[in-house]
Amino acid sequence: MKLIRLKYTKWFNISKNGLSQNNPIAIGVLGICSALAVTNRVENAIAMGLGVTFVIVASSLMVSMIRRFIPPRVRMVTYMVIIATFVIVVQLFLEAFFPIIAAALGAYVGLIITNCIVMGRAEAFAAKNPMRFTFYDGLANGLGYTYVLILVALVREVLAFGTILNYQVMPDGFVNWTVMAMAPGGFFVLAIFIWIIRELTNNYELQQ
Amino acid sequence: MKQYLQMIIFVLVLGLVTSLLLVGVDAWTEERIALNQQAELQSAVLDAYEIEYTIQQISDIFNENFDVVEAEDKTFFVHKETGSISFVIEGNGVWGPIVGVLTLEDDLVTIRRITILQEEETPGLGGVISERWYLDKYVGREMEPELIVSRNADLSNPNEVDAIAGGTRTSEAFEIIINAEYSAYIEVWNTLNGGE
Repeated sequence: MKLIRLKYTKWFNISKNGLSQNNPIAIGVLGICSALAVTNRVENAIAMGLGVTFVIVASSLMVSMIRRFIPPRVRMVTYMVIIATFVIVVQLFLEAFFPIIAAALGAYVGLIITNCIVMGRAEAFAAKNPMRFTFYDGLANGLGYTYVLILVALVREVLAFGTILNYQVMPDGFVNWTVMAMAPGGFFVLAIFIWIIRELTNNYELQQ
Repeated sequence: MKQYLQMIIFVLVLGLVTSLLLVGVDAWTEERIALNQQAELQSAVLDAYEIEYTIQQISDIFNENFDVVEAEDKTFFVHKETGSISFVIEGNGVWGPIVGVLTLEDDLVTIRRITILQEEETPGLGGVISERWYLDKYVGREMEPELIVSRNADLSNPNEVDAIAGGTRTSEAFEIIINAEYSAYIEVWNTLNGGE
């Protein structure tokens, strides 16, 4: 009985929206820049995904918390200031505790601020909803972004370096597909993923 | 009027809260980031002598093998066993600073190894400056009378080295940096050891 009811709860629907129905990358095609750039290795994808998830959750929560006080005229600026603050927090945290990953991600950590998903969730959801739903929404969208990144990175790392998380998985004679380590490889794999997810969720862009 | 006042107060409070948060995080991570940067520098020096280390004990291993000698405003890392030196070279590249570590053989002329710690050159072109295969071209080259980085390098002369293809301005900048820093450091080093 409870399982059937689950489908009608708000948090279930919010999670479903973020993870599949309105997946930010596959359906919304947001945050593509970083998705192409950092998916050449799985560890980079994990770090970037968690960083973005943290920024979405933290900034959405803060926007939601003060949503009644934000003057409409300066709301965009407010989102930017809040997002920028959390991005710097993530950057300092990575530099302090994961310097190698921070070096590998380079400028892309700072560029989380330009990731449309973060701003999009603040404006579309956090500014209108109470904190607990905002939390689910941020988490679902962040994880929706993360798992697509990790899946793309899994394919790319195996083909480009013959490894997963730096463990050799391909046989010795395997010739690395260099193109997979570069941006074009990201385009191919990501496009195929978007195709698969859209087929599975029956999401077609019909001509009007 | 009242709404403008509210807006200004809101912006001020927002600025205050976010700044406090950042100051807090900075205070929390500052020490570790400084340690990481130090470890990066130390690993560059250790690599030049192929000394093995792990990130946890890098500081101890470094202190076991090297003396840090400071003279005027220059810092030298002296290998205890051979007496050869490493130091940090720093200067302006094309888009931003280039910072690296130069390790010399004990003749103080031959390059043992160069590592680039920081650069902001054009990725794929001048950015090659930080890649190991390119820096390996400098190994065994000599700094006297001066190092020449040229695209028509005559490798039979020990003081010439190939420039980066497509990175002419970075190569020129690096040539100036390495020669200027070398002569400045060697001068201090020679005065320091003049009495011996």
